[in-house]
Amino acid sequence: MNMIISYNWLKEYVPTLPDAKALADVFMYHLCEVESIQERGGDTIFDLNILPNRAHDLLSHQGIARELAGQLGISFKDPTVLYKTPISKETALSVVLHTKECRRYTARIIRNVKVQPSPQWMATHLQSIGARSINNVVDATNIVLFDCGQPCHAFDAKKLSNESITVRMAKKDEAMTTLDGKAISFLETDMVIADDDGVLAIAGVKGGTKAEVDTNTVDIILEVANFAPVGVRKTARRIGLLTDAAKRFENDLSPDLAIRAMQQLSALIAELCPDAVFEDIVDVYPAPQEYRQVSFSLSRVNTVLGATITSEDVEAILRSYGFIFSRVGESFSVDVPPLRLDLVGEHDMIEEIGRIYGYEKIIPVLPDSKTPVEQNEIVQRIHAARRELVEDGYKEVYTYTFTKKGDIQVAYGAKGKEYIRTNLSEGLRSSYELNRQNAPLLGQREIKLFEIGAVFSTEGNEVINVAYADNDGVVEESLATFTEGMDLSLEDIPVSLSTEKFVPWSVYPFVVRDIAVWSNEADRELLQSIVATFASEHCVRPPELFDSFEKEGRISIAYRFVFQAQDKTLTDDEVNTTMQTLYNAIVQSGAFEIR
Amino acid sequence: MQRGTLHPLTLLSDEAYRIFSSLGFTIANGPELETEWYNFDALNVAKDHPARDMQDTFWIKGQEGKVLRTHTTNATARSLERIAKAGKHEGAFISVGKVFRNEATDATHEAQFFQIDGAMVGEHVTLAHLKGVLLEFYKKILGEEIVIEFRPSFFPFVEPGFEVFIKFRNRWLEVMGAGMLHPQVLRNVGFDPDKVQGFAFGGGLDRIAMVKWDIPDIRFLYQGDLRVNQF
Repeated sequence: MNMIISYNWLKEYVPTLPDAKALADVFMYHLCEVESIQERGGDTIFDLNILPNRAHDLLSHQGIARELAGQLGISFKDPTVLYKTPISKETALSVVLHTKECRRYTARIIRNVKVQPSPQWMATHLQSIGARSINNVVDATNIVLFDCGQPCHAFDAKKLSNESITVRMAKKDEAMTTLDGKAISFLETDMVIADDDGVLAIAGVKGGTKAEVDTNTVDIILEVANFAPVGVRKTARRIGLLTDAAKRFENDLSPDLAIRAMQQLSALIAELCPDAVFEDIVDVYPAPQEYRQVSFSLSRVNTVLGATITSEDVEAILRSYGFIFSRVGESFSVDVPPLRLDLVGEHDMIEEIGRIYGYEKIIPVLPDSKTPVEQNEIVQRIHAARRELVEDGYKEVYTYTFTKKGDIQVAYGAKGKEYIRTNLSEGLRSSYELNRQNAPLLGQREIKLFEIGAVFSTEGNEVINVAYADNDGVVEESLATFTEGMDLSLEDIPVSLSTEKFVPWSVYPFVVRDIAVWSNEADRELLQSIVATFASEHCVRPPELFDSFEKEGRISIAYRFVFQAQDKTLTDDEVNTTMQTLYNAIVQSGAFEIR
Repeated sequence: MQRGTLHPLTLLSDEAYRIFSSLGFTIANGPELETEWYNFDALNVAKDHPARDMQDTFWIKGQEGKVLRTHTTNATARSLERIAKAGKHEGAFISVGKVFRNEATDATHEAQFFQIDGAMVGEHVTLAHLKGVLLEFYKKILGEEIVIEFRPSFFPFVEPGFEVFIKFRNRWLEVMGAGMLHPQVLRNVGFDPDKVQGFAFGGGLDRIAMVKWDIPDIRFLYQGDLRVNQF
């Protein structure tokens, strides 16, 4: 899951952050992959690939900042103490939850806001991470989203039928137009936010036009809620709206985050709209998140990691991450911070300790296995079949499992590759034809091929077959039949892997030319040397001596040459010109006569 | 009679089998057409977890719960289950086989490719052992001069999880996913995670071949073209 992070934004939380280059290493070795780093407008922008188990808390600047502070042992500026709590008065706002899929809904009315362009710092923050500045109210919800990871939404209160919000499943045939103009028709499995007249927003995904905040808006309702991941994910995917909000909800957020975000958002709007009048927060939270403790023992950490981490190391790690913990001897018990939904059992703490301690400090050790290695009969049979075929001069190919026709079809297969093969023979026949055409290139008179692989049919399901092809056609048998009576116990002869480099071939056609020369026995070697030199300069493979006979005391020797360019199709003229240099060389030697 | 030749991936997989056998690993295999259980559920990949998006899977039409395996970890899971059922507490398995991902093909991506996958379990099998085994394997395959690094990553079947990187000819290459078997996976195959622990790893064999021999296009390997049998 990608998260765009602004270095300058991070720095507001961790002022003593090291430079961007050093940060990249911290991310890479202790947290996640860095997909890109860009210098932009006096800022450095990281594109981080947040791991799925940390998408709960790290799709945010605060989350990343907290993580870095722990990793680097530097101080984290807690933003919550800075929020000015606006004075608020009683509210008549009603929030009703009709589905358990909404785990928490916090809302508040703010009257007398002034919708206008955002101050520069907000616009800059949003632009730095590739988001668009719209107006101060909408931008405030987005700032909070990217800052703490909690999606927020603002409705124009006057556009609701009354000041009452319901979270429910959509009714059949209900519809809505999203803020970006997309018409959505709902299924009864979609969760929506509604007033008495109809749908205001797709829960956790996108707001609708009905209660859109615009420049005439004066009263707003803020929504900061928590929706269960699976429903949001299904709806977002079905309608093709993978918004920043949906991406966070589908990875499961802590409901604890909602109220913090509401406070942060309120404080921000109070700063942006000094004349705004705040009403109390309505917080509907039927089943509050349970707080967890996780225990682990140091000996288990070391047994799993194969490390020699000390109790003091562990304490230092837990302290720098601000974990509240207790310790009895080598046993630790940690109060799991509410946002860390990933920390459930001992194994999670082992990962946490290992990751922070640094995996590079773990010394590689070869295991001392006492269990004897068992033989695998299928692999023995495959080896026996290969050995036999290779000894008979057959060469191994791999062809595709996917075919145009077959018994078993895959869903969403590429065109012409919708089925899986029922036999190896068809693939091998095409392979034979390809290689037969390339026979001069391969320097081969006879093409002999084989493949060993799985085939699939409705009756037999999956069987491993052996197929081989030569001038007589293709033969295919099951591996079991082919290897019947073979000695399976033969050890493979270890071969050391070649250290040569692969030579790619040209995609252009090759041209073949033959030459026949009268020679004396004594001059054979001279001729061989002339043609070899020529071929090494002009041909894609060594000359092939393909015919030779004696007549009246002289020998006729015939060679074949294969020409192919890497970058073009050779013309006849070009090849003829090249061949002429060979004729010349042969004639000039004075020893031969070209037939 | 002129001897025939072997496909480069066969040469590589045979070498992998030899190296891992010498380290105490038994060769395992499993079907290419696999149940959802061994390909996903047993490996702790939850039904609706976004992790299932990480691999675009070929599901079989008309056969509920059947897939073309997306990794040879299915063979590992089946083998671990077998020894757990036999009441054993330790064992090590290696498998090389064809796997499938539903993705657009280009010079570095194929819908079918080969994967090497392994696991070792026991009472004291550690991350240090995982590092030792993979370091040994890559040194033997790519040369003594390689450097190996474990960087944090996530796969549902392991925790901690890593991307394994190799420095080869002055370039860092991502070569494998690896980690310590997740307690839920150990339970799913029949072990008690309080008594048995272990590691697992898996990665593309084609990628190793392409890097080792400088093969520029993965598709060369599956076209039945004898010009790839150069080694």
